[in-house]
Amino acid sequence: MNLKHLRQWSLRLSLSLALVVVGIGDIAGARDFLNDESYEDQAATEVYDPIEPFNRVVFTFNDKVFLWVLNPVATGYSKVLPSDIRGCIGNFFYNLGEPVRSVNCLLQGRFRDSGLALSRFAINTIGGVFGLADAATEAFKINRVKGTLGQTFSVWGIGDGFYLVVPLLGPSTLRDFSGDLGEALATTAWYYPWDDDFVTSATVFGIQDINYISLHLGAYEDIKSMSIDPYVAFRNAYFQARNKTSDHLVLPNPTININR
Amino acid sequence: MLKDKLKAIFIFALYFIILMMFFSQSSASATPDPTDQMRPFLKKVTDALADPALKTVPKKEQGQRIIKIVRERFDFQEMSKRVLGHQWRNLNDKEKGEFEDVFTQLLQYAYIGKIDEYAGQKIEFTQQRIKGDRAEVQTLLVDKAKSIPVSYIMLLRGEQWMAYDVVVEGVSLVRNYMEQFQEIIRKDGYAGLVKQIEEKIDHIEKENKGS
Repeated sequence: MNLKHLRQWSLRLSLSLALVVVGIGDIAGARDFLNDESYEDQAATEVYDPIEPFNRVVFTFNDKVFLWVLNPVATGYSKVLPSDIRGCIGNFFYNLGEPVRSVNCLLQGRFRDSGLALSRFAINTIGGVFGLADAATEAFKINRVKGTLGQTFSVWGIGDGFYLVVPLLGPSTLRDFSGDLGEALATTAWYYPWDDDFVTSATVFGIQDINYISLHLGAYEDIKSMSIDPYVAFRNAYFQARNKTSDHLVLPNPTININR
Repeated sequence: MLKDKLKAIFIFALYFIILMMFFSQSSASATPDPTDQMRPFLKKVTDALADPALKTVPKKEQGQRIIKIVRERFDFQEMSKRVLGHQWRNLNDKEKGEFEDVFTQLLQYAYIGKIDEYAGQKIEFTQQRIKGDRAEVQTLLVDKAKSIPVSYIMLLRGEQWMAYDVVVEGVSLVRNYMEQFQEIIRKDGYAGLVKQIEEKIDHIEKENKGS
């Protein structure tokens, strides 16, 4: 009798796990540009932005900080260091994030992606010399996977809350920002256990940011100059970029797939 | 003797008919390859951008020259229609034409800035997929330290694939403008939108003269 119960339970458990995995598959294939639904009008009302006046103030503040501080610093930095070295530094920081990414994939039931992130970490730390080179992508053809704590919360059924422009950090939502905070804590606790003061972590994240901006110089100004309402343009770009599960090299469901 | 001849003619005719059927069918069912059409087009655009003679003419004319080439494979009417969403149906033909003009002008000015930035970046074609009369051609814009994924979303018009959206790193240009425009239409109406786009164009024009 007990054994029968146990069997039933294990069946139920595996069924619900399967449902979770199917659910994730749905999210991954949600946006197909070849379907007209992805251009329907309701896209605009999807975004919940009740504190827009506040967000607009922070957006303007961030804009000034970017143009007057971050951008000049990143430009100077880009003149000192050649782009391939900056690319390596970007890889290094990305590699540090792989264990946390792997855990997040695991928590979301994406077991394969979790393994991929972990093997990327192993390959790049050893073969890529502490993650300076991305050997996993180039030699082993294991593409980057996305796995954030914000995503994990979403899979667990926690909603976005609302759109939030965070001072100095930019577009986010209440849920994603909480996730980012958690990840930042996890990453610093993991790598810098000897020194957990705020200034050190802030410096590390600052360098990471400047390095990132130096690799994308001009991108911010481009989007701004092209838009009629930059605030809405960046809000929309944030949600669109978040919805893509990976770079378009991996197609969720290719109808015709020709490798050229 | 005559019977054999007739037989030969009959067989020949039969072959001919089958052959004709085969050819006509294959030409009717084969859709042109979107990547094959996109490749020479993008080559033409990058060649024009790299042409040193382009830099010698005034900025406004630079933009006009590029947009003239871009028009060969971009359907700006389809783009305008999608950017406006349901508002497009409320416009008459004259207004539709006017909006297309002003929106194309906005894009033209937005891309003038890009002309100076182009420094011989290469375009790699990665994949394509076709779904009915829609296609997505995926490319990588390869720069020194990074490559940017860019997709072209296309519609089959007769024998020609025409692009109506560009997706850069997962962000669709049309969807991005659509949300901006819808908020403006909701607040200031359609007339307000056209006015704001015209103001933006004026603003960029003045900036270009200043530099």
